[in-house]
This record gives sequence, structure tokens and C-alpha cells, in this order.
Amino acid sequence: MALSDISHRPKFLREGNVYLPHPAVIEKIVIETADTKTFHFNFKDEKLREEFTFQSGQFCLLSVLGIGEATFCISSSPTRRDHLECSIKEVGRLTRALHRLGVGAEIGFRGPYGNSFPLDFLKGKNLVFVGGGIGLAPLRSLIWNVIDNRQEYGRIDIIYGARTPADLCFSYDLEAWQQDKTVNMVTTVDRGDEAWKGRVGLVPVVLEEVVPSPDNSVAIVCGPPIMIRFTFPALEKLGFSPEQMLTTLEKRMKCGIGKCGRCNIGNIYVCRDGPVFSYAEISSFISSEY
Amino acid sequence: MTAKKIARRDIADLLNEWSREFGVFVPSRDEGVAKWARWGGGDAGFLEWYRNTVVPPKALFFPPLEEMFSFQKDGDGYHVGQPPPTEDRWLVFGIRPCDARALAVLALTFKDGYQDPYYLARRKNGVLVGLGCTRPYESCFCTSLGISPTDAANVDLMLTDIGDDFLVEAVTDKGKELLSKTSLVQAATGADEARAEEAREAAGARVTRKVDSQGAHEKLRAGFEDKDFWERVSAKCISCGICTFLCPTCYCFDISDELVKKQGARFRSWDSCAFPLYTKMPVENPRREKWRRLRQKVCHKYEFYPDSFDVIACTGCGRCIRLCPVNWDITRVLSSLPAQEQLRLER
Ligand code: SF4
Ligand code: SF4
Ligand code: FES
Repeated sequence: MALSDISHRPKFLREGNVYLPHPAVIEKIVIETADTKTFHFNFKDEKLREEFTFQSGQFCLLSVLGIGEATFCISSSPTRRDHLECSIKEVGRLTRALHRLGVGAEIGFRGPYGNSFPLDFLKGKNLVFVGGGIGLAPLRSLIWNVIDNRQEYGRIDIIYGARTPADLCFSYDLEAWQQDKTVNMVTTVDRGDEAWKGRVGLVPVVLEEVVPSPDNSVAIVCGPPIMIRFTFPALEKLGFSPEQMLTTLEKRMKCGIGKCGRCNIGNIYVCRDGPVFSYAEISSFISSEY
Repeated sequence: MTAKKIARRDIADLLNEWSREFGVFVPSRDEGVAKWARWGGGDAGFLEWYRNTVVPPKALFFPPLEEMFSFQKDGDGYHVGQPPPTEDRWLVFGIRPCDARALAVLALTFKDGYQDPYYLARRKNGVLVGLGCTRPYESCFCTSLGISPTDAANVDLMLTDIGDDFLVEAVTDKGKELLSKTSLVQAATGADEARAEEAREAAGARVTRKVDSQGAHEKLRAGFEDKDFWERVSAKCISCGICTFLCPTCYCFDISDELVKKQGARFRSWDSCAFPLYTKMPVENPRREKWRRLRQKVCHKYEFYPDSFDVIACTGCGRCIRLCPVNWDITRVLSSLPAQEQLRLER
């Protein structure tokens, strides 16, 4: 593994102190579920707003100064770039502080860091998106990216599951993809309720029922580790090779740039070498450290 | 450049001279714990007791706690201030070859890809004056890592103890510049050089502990999933983190904020893979069990770091052996790694 090359990274990232957060202002807050909100924000600095670029799959660190900093994937698409979006589940001190902020509040932004979904590899292929819960966030950036360049890709299947109907994120997107005739959208829940008319069943099980063909296909799987552990074998059964399965990994992170040491799985550092990996790259480690 | 020498009794004066231009740091005892402190004049008594410091010199370049920047809360927003300035020009006197190598190892991480401004600024402004080891500890095994106790490889200026004098060699331009400015050094004779060579050989021979550092990579990779082995070798560990905090090549850090009224700062502080919280996520924790954490410590040094940077992230300084409260011993772990063939048979 060579030293990390950042020469192709945007200029604003290569200059100055990489640990200093850029001030950004929350412009809109969308309530996704009881514990998840999507924050729309923009940089305060005019120049940065114009210079800023990122790719689907990359992540950032958001700060509430005085409380701390944490990593989040950018859940909006680079094809829709009048603002940035992060979807955040309330799970700890920092996310609680973020959830307490309102429109107009200032947050700190570092990034974008990490690699991204390999668009060149995906172009011309059939794409099977498999998402669970908040795991739809990184997929959503890619899905809109692909839909906005629809003619460059083959068939699109989206299989999305959550625990209950109330846990489904991005209902507005799910609806749009449902309406889109060029997309096969399947939504499922582990447990339905009276109002739920859709599918009931765990994602890996539904996946086997929907049976997407592995021919010229790539499956992109994002969700909680437990879902990932069961989805890869299900895809393998369907005939997908390890190279045809992509995922983004989640680890506790602090620096986001390969310095603080905590995000490794074996010799792979999720922040430095990921977060996007093919199953082929991680299969030897994933069983024991993820 | 031909070697120079300086009289032992003149070292204090040399440090005084340098202090006019540099912040000079030397080995010092703080309530019995050997660490690094600013040279305060007087006599260079440390030359008599100093073998190596408990707190490695990495603490000077990568402090246990450091402010990354300050900020001020202002309504809905913040003013982010600049990081505190680091020492302009400073000099570390007496660094051991193992610890000098460690600083070079740390630099690989801190300059890979995104630059770490704090470490790199201190490194750039710092001058390293090495002091060869004549009394290695029983726990030292630097020679197994390709380091000799009198190695000049990673310092600017190197001193070797030859009795009443020290042989002085300029290794880098920074070192040459240092020598050109002082009148306390004089040309060394052939006899001095011969004595230095003797001292080097004797010091190397005093490092008797050995490990097969090169063979470790393959064995660690093969034995990664050998839970029984890792459980066995980590059984007595109490997860105190000493072996990582005081390891000269360990660089893991945490980042945290402090805010009092409207004035705050972001800090980084040493962290340790020995702690269960280190990798804890809201729901999952991939290294909840102790054996996974000690496996990380050993594999990081002897397998993962070489995978990234082609160098083992252990210098054989022996601190983790000397200072562990329960006598965990990395060399014992390394020499008891099952050979690959053996593993295959067991499967
Ligand atoms: S110093 Fe010893 S007890 Fe402490 S974490 Fe290291 S091995 Fe465990
Ligand atoms: S692992 Fe132990 S012997 Fe190796 S450099 Fe660290 S403290 Fe020294
Ligand atoms: S988050 Fe710090 S090394 Fe990856």
C-alpha cells in the first residue's frame, strides 16, 4: 500500500491547518424519523461555497464547538449542489447537541474525506442498491447522482428496509423513486403496523425473493454491520462475486485523515483507504473485526 | 567531515551556549520519573544517571495534551482562533538512537497525505542531539530492529561516550551548523575514534535480548484468527494503556472540546488501543475483548505499519516491557507466535 496521495484533492483541503473546521450555517432541517434529522447547510465563506467539491461516498466531520466533532457521510448528491446534506441519528452527546440546533445555527465542517463510489466502474452496469435504516444516507447520494445521469447506467434496483414503517428515512425520496419508471424500488420493514401495505421481511430475505441478476451488475450495500454480514452471503448465493459487491464501512473516527489511529480493520484504515470498499478487499478481515 | 570531541566537563557550558539560541531540553527527573525538561543550567548531572527516560521524547513533539485551536462563541456562531505557536527553535539533547528512530517513524504517519501541522512544525524547528547508549537495559532489543545503541541515523549531531570525552559527529547540515558555532569542541584524534569504535561494539554486545522481527509479519498474518493464542498471551493484561502511552512510536490520539462560558478550545490527547472505549461506537464495538486489543497493539507494530510504510513501528526500546505493571512482554509474544506450518497442521 503506497503513501496516501492527496494531490488530486481540492485545493481548499490541501492548504492551511487541516484540523480547523470551516464555519457552515444550517439552512433547513428535515425530520426523517423519531431520532433522525437531515440537516441542509452551506458554508459561510462565499469563496469556499464556490470552490467546494465532493463525490458520492465521501464523509465529513461536523463540529458543535464546545461539544466535539463526529463523522457523517454526505447524504446529498454532488449533482445537486446548492447546499450539502447530512442525515444524523441521535445516538450520543454530539448528535444530541446537533439535534438541538435550529435553522441559522452555525456548525463546523471538515472534509470531504475518504474515497468515493467508483463511478467509472459503475457506469454501464446494472446497479442493485441495498440499504438498511440510516444506511440509505450514503446510498442516497449515489442514487441521485446516478438518476441525474440516468442514460449512463443500466437497470436500477433499490431494496430498502427498516425495522418498522416509522423507521423509514427519506420517505420523500422513496416516493420519488417509486414513481420513477426507470427504477425498481422495493421497500420492506421487519415489522409492519396496521397502516403498512408493503412488504414485510428482513433485507437479505427480501433480496433473495427479488432476485436481481448478477450479470453485468454491481450491488452496493449500506446499513448496520449486522445487515451487511447477512447481505453479502445472500448476494453470493445469487451469484455476485466479491468484486461485484461494494459497501461503506463505519468505524469510530476522530481525525478522519489517517492520523489518530482508531479506524483500522487490519492494515486498512477506513478514513484513509475507504470508506468505500469492495467485499473482495475486506472479506478476510470483516468477520473478526467488524 | 572528521569527528570532533568535547570534554565531559564542558557539556554544561555547551548546553548554556545553545540555550541562548534554542529552547534546550535534556533528560531530567521529576519525582523520580525520568522525562524531558528545559535545561536550567548547573551541572549536567543527568550524564551520570541517564539510561533512558520513562516518558519518551515523543512527548516533546507530540505532547500528551495539546491545544489544537481556541474558539469563542458569539451568538449562533463562533470565532475560530489560530493554533498556539510552537517553539521557534529548539534542541533536544541526549536522545537515544531508538527514540530518534521512533520520531522518524511517527513522521511517516503525520506527513502521509494530509499534513499534521503540529507535529511537523515541531520537527522542522527542532534539532536532535543524540547520545549513544552505553548501558542498555535488560529489556532493550533495539539490535533486533536494525538499530545499534550508538546509531547516528536519525539525529543531527551524535555524541558517543569515550570516557573523559564524547566523540562528536555532525550528521546533518543542522548538526554541522551547531558545531561550527562553538569553540568547546576540538578535533578528535585517531585514538579517540578507535575508542569510540570500541564503545560502539561493547554497547551493541550489551543488548542481549533478541527477537525475529522480520519473521513476525508472516506469522502475525497467519495467526490473526488464532483466538486461543491471543487470549493466552493477553490474559494478565489489565488494559492500563502504559505500553502504548509510553511507547515512543504509538501516536493514537483523541480529540475533545472544552467550553467555559463563551471561551473554548479543542484539544488532542494521547489515546490507547488498550482501552475498550477506543473503538466503541453507539451500538457495536469491534474490540470489546481484551485479546483483540492486544492483538491490535502487536499487529499494528509488526504487521500493519510495515504494510503501510515498510517499517516496523517498534524500536525495541523495551519500555513496554520495563513499565508494564503485570510484566507483559512483547518479545515473549513475538517469540511464541506459532509458525505458519504449525498453524496449518492444527487446522
Ligand atoms: S502496560 Fe501491560 S497491563 Fe498495561 S495495557 Fe500494556 S500489556 Fe496491558
Ligand atoms: S512496542 Fe515496546 S519496545 Fe517497541 S517501541 Fe513500543 S515501547 Fe518500545
Ligand atoms: S479516523 Fe483517525 S485514523 Fe481514521
